Amino acid sequence: MNEDDSFDLGDLLGQPEAAVPDTSKESEFLGESGLSVTGKARMEAAYGTDDGEGQDVAIVAQSATSDAGTIFHQVYRPWRGVLNPRWVRNWSILRHHVYGLFTKGHRPWPLTSKLIIVLILFGSLLPIFSLLLAVLTNIEFLMEFYGINRANLWGHVLGTFHNTCCWPLLTAVVVGGLISEDRQHGTSAIYFSRPVTRTDYTLMKYISAASILSLVIVISYCAYFAAGIILNNEGWAFLLDTTTYFIGGLVAAIMLVVTFTSIGLALSSLSTGRFFPAASFLGVIFGSRILAFLIQLLFDRDTMYLLSPYDNLAHTGQWMMGLNPTYDFPVAWSFVMLLVMNGVSLYVLISRVNSLEVTRE
Amino acid sequence: MTEDWIIQTNNLVKKYGEHVALDSVNIEVKPGATGLLGPNGAGKSTLLKTMLGLIALTSGGGKVLGHDIATEGAKIRQRIGYMPEYDCLTPDMPAIDQVRYSGELLGMNPFAATQRAHEVLEYVGLKDQRYRTISTFSTGMEQCTKLACALIHDPDLLICDEPSNGLDARSRKFMLDTLFQVVKQGGRSIIMSSHLMDDVERICERMLMIHKGQVIAQGRIEDLKAIDREIEIFVWGGASKLEQKLKDMGQSVRRTGRVMRITRIDDSTYGTIIEAAAQTEVQIRKMQDYEPSLEDLFIVIMDRLGYSVKSSSDLLEGATPAMDNAAAIQGRKVA
Repeated sequence: MNEDDSFDLGDLLGQPEAAVPDTSKESEFLGESGLSVTGKARMEAAYGTDDGEGQDVAIVAQSATSDAGTIFHQVYRPWRGVLNPRWVRNWSILRHHVYGLFTKGHRPWPLTSKLIIVLILFGSLLPIFSLLLAVLTNIEFLMEFYGINRANLWGHVLGTFHNTCCWPLLTAVVVGGLISEDRQHGTSAIYFSRPVTRTDYTLMKYISAASILSLVIVISYCAYFAAGIILNNEGWAFLLDTTTYFIGGLVAAIMLVVTFTSIGLALSSLSTGRFFPAASFLGVIFGSRILAFLIQLLFDRDTMYLLSPYDNLAHTGQWMMGLNPTYDFPVAWSFVMLLVMNGVSLYVLISRVNSLEVTRE
Repeated sequence: MTEDWIIQTNNLVKKYGEHVALDSVNIEVKPGATGLLGPNGAGKSTLLKTMLGLIALTSGGGKVLGHDIATEGAKIRQRIGYMPEYDCLTPDMPAIDQVRYSGELLGMNPFAATQRAHEVLEYVGLKDQRYRTISTFSTGMEQCTKLACALIHDPDLLICDEPSNGLDARSRKFMLDTLFQVVKQGGRSIIMSSHLMDDVERICERMLMIHKGQVIAQGRIEDLKAIDREIEIFVWGGASKLEQKLKDMGQSVRRTGRVMRITRIDDSTYGTIIEAAAQTEVQIRKMQDYEPSLEDLFIVIMDRLGYSVKSSSDLLEGATPAMDNAAAIQGRKVA
């Protein structure tokens, strides 16, 4: 071959040019195209085996003819495996939601949600850094302010800062789309056309949300308590003194997680999309508090705080940790209201999940 | 119950308040491909949900793959692959993860589900696209992903709800070919609900037609087509005269322009047609035995039920027209 000769891939492969199929119709996947795609042309283009002399035309990879072989053979392969029992299916739902926060291949959490969760986790761990600062500087005031005591442990779970800036926002981000997005995208059909019952579906969604909230709220609470012991080099006596109200705080934290998850999931089951459930959850938490606060200012009555999930939790938490209550009504009322709120939320959640369709939404 | 049947129901009744969604449904579905036909609101979705063991029946019962539909819903769904008509995929997930997750929901362990997800995505033609997020997929690719989700555990029975919905001609052909292969090559059974008679005819050997919650026809399509054999004639000049004459002579005639189809009673029907043509002085340009399509079968069945329909789209895609004869539906089951 000399430099004047035209050169194309057909010469290289020794195949007629006319046999190259029409690729003008762009198709997105093998099934649409009806073409066979071989690796031979690409290999020639990448690792040409001639001497390289006289080649003044670039080799461009092309689709080769069907004579050259076909990669796409549609062959049905049976599967002889065994399907595992119910708990494995339920575990896969939990894993799908929780692992999605950390790795790819599971529920695709939006990046903003992940960032907010990380920021809130960091914020909830700030008291540990403050405690470290207090220990290192040995300043009495800082030790009182950040040390382990009833008020600080209560404050970590039910204090105003965390319940204004952290936990409601965390819940809104986590719970917002858990069920509503299944309704929006019709993915509930994927669950219910399989041997997943509505009870399993609801329960595993609930546990998934509660687990993620617990990862931040309960774990940071325990970490704070542990840090207090380790950094101050406390002994068994301290542990015995503080264990009772630590457990009280732990129960309060679990109650907070349960209540927020119930309300959040109920709102999520009412809607399609992520925004409305998140916004309405924040509205319920903050709105009820603001309303109760305004009524207290105007009429000097604090009974309306019974309508606020946060205040009911705070009141019950104060009782469990042995703190002086800041509310005038009995703690039993708050506890009953918490039960009612959880009951109503779960009723809404269950009835709405029952309305999720398999065949049509 | 005969083991040959994959689905058998016995006087299945499902009521939603006063509304009767399924009315004494007795069906017997054999292995292979079966088409499920019926107008909107006929009860197809309710029947599919019943087959999946998802709804509580008002009365009656049945078995799917040998499992009781009232008490063994989970076992049934483990052996069924369901491909919904509507969107059921998470847009932000890659196809491979979506298919794997659908396998895990069936109880497959993650490693087996991942391996199988690769296999089925290759089978449905999405090998090179399996790592793309579903939101970037065309309708055809989404349908194929749904099919892959349904096939991941190699089900004994595949239920496809409008599998070719929204597909262009090329993707539709691929989807139908794939389903056909699942039956022929894979030896699996399919129940396919579709508005498109051509699709059902191409894939299925049997059909099941329901209307107003009742089964109005079921059996092999070829057998059902043989119910009314027709002679097709192309006439020239005076088609109306000939039509009238044939009707006067006691023949059943369907006419579209200059093409007429006369129900063949026996061999003497040919002579009767020629005699009528001679008497009315109308030319018969062509006469042949008519090979009916599923569309024709549908029209005949609807005609017997008292509906005046020109094509299946009159009933399947639009509102159900008023019956000419309300009583006609009673006791008029074709098979």
